[in-house]
Amino acid sequence: MNYKFVPSVCSYCGTGCGVLFEVIDGKINSTLPLKSHPVNKGKLCIKGWNLHEYINSFMRLKTPLIKKDGRFQKATWDETISHTAKNFTKIKDQFGPDSIGVLVSAKISNEENYLAQKFTRAVIGTNNVDHCARL
Amino acid sequence: MDIINQVEQLLEQGKVDIFIGYKELDGHVIPHGFTKENLDELKDLKTGETRYSLEKMATHLAKKDKDLKIGIIARECNKRALNCLYTWNQLNPENMEIINVNCCPSRIKIHADCSYLEPKKSGKFKKEHGIEFNNDPEELMEKYDNNERFSRWMYEFNKCIKCYGCRNICPVCFCSDCSLEDPDLVETGDLPPDVPIFHLVRASHMAGRCIDCGLCEDACPAEIPLRLLYREINQIVSDVFDYQPGQNMEKSPFTVIGDKVTLEPKPMDTLL
Ligand code: SF4
Ligand code: SF4
Ligand code: SF4
Ligand code: SF4
Repeated sequence: MNYKFVPSVCSYCGTGCGVLFEVIDGKINSTLPLKSHPVNKGKLCIKGWNLHEYINSFMRLKTPLIKKDGRFQKATWDETISHTAKNFTKIKDQFGPDSIGVLVSAKISNEENYLAQKFTRAVIGTNNVDHCARL
Repeated sequence: MDIINQVEQLLEQGKVDIFIGYKELDGHVIPHGFTKENLDELKDLKTGETRYSLEKMATHLAKKDKDLKIGIIARECNKRALNCLYTWNQLNPENMEIINVNCCPSRIKIHADCSYLEPKKSGKFKKEHGIEFNNDPEELMEKYDNNERFSRWMYEFNKCIKCYGCRNICPVCFCSDCSLEDPDLVETGDLPPDVPIFHLVRASHMAGRCIDCGLCEDACPAEIPLRLLYREINQIVSDVFDYQPGQNMEKSPFTVIGDKVTLEPKPMDTLL
């Protein structure tokens, strides 16, 4: 039996509480507060305590979906990225870069948020980038 | 013999299949399962102030494999919790190997952040970050009349953010259907949860069961003096039944169905 605890950061809100995932034979069994984390000092809200549930949820999307013939269908990452790029370019060419906006999230890491704003400003060419915490 | 050697022997001789202790990872001391396959990890085995409910983790493993032989590092609170879990058939004592660690305060050994050793005192955190409207809950119990105490407890319960942390972290809360999630008792989607039902349901379940480890109070984001609440409840259990949960393998008086009622019903405010 392989039994370990993996420290991580709660992805539900921008507070960024430290969590510990209890992992039994490669599967996350529960979430605990990380006692030595400076942000939450061993406490969590109800979302943090249940962080493992969406990881193991059968409803979790494991592949990207593209809407074809009026309904979402499974697609590969390559297909999806080129589909998205093609459509972004089309919108940008037709209506200008300010017709596109990007909303980033507290549920992703700083680095991912940084990349997203870089992509929005440098690649798409607009300052229309905002954060879900301001909604 | 130091702990690392003891654990190594237990694993090598096959006395345990897995040993739950602590290891340091990026500056955090966290629980870890050591096995025969990963003996080299034992060099990172740590003991110290860090305190998680290792025995609760053992119940998770026992649920996956009931014959698994499990070793754990145990302080006094862990041992009390183990006794309680044995009597409630959540762990089989024959499958458990315990290595005791000291938690007595001394100059050479930093003890855990535990107020059990100094009964009836507020923990370190609460002292440092005294909450508004709160001098000392214990003081309140001694000095004030029932009405004042009642309103104080209601104030405390109203702070609850219904995180279920007190239940989740508790070594002796193991029910598969928890009353606190029963919509007939506790309305769903309400904050704070039904006051005082939510807290009194849990408190009544902790009668004859809470081993006073204080983990719930440590985990409560609302700083509700839960430990004090359960201590007061178990003081009644001790006075009436002469029973202290976790002291030995004696079963809780509430597991025995008697044939007559000897208790006088009392109005609730004398208990609060
Ligand atoms: S545990 Fe709660 S407060 Fe902490 S980061 Fe997660 S959602 Fe936010
Ligand atoms: S002190 Fe709290 S966590 Fe510990 S056994 Fe009692 S109720 Fe459970
Ligand atoms: S609160 Fe009561 S019902 Fe819920 S797990 Fe604890 S003892 Fe069981
Ligand atoms: S840990 Fe505190 S805030 Fe959370 S449910 Fe328990 S009493 Fe309420």
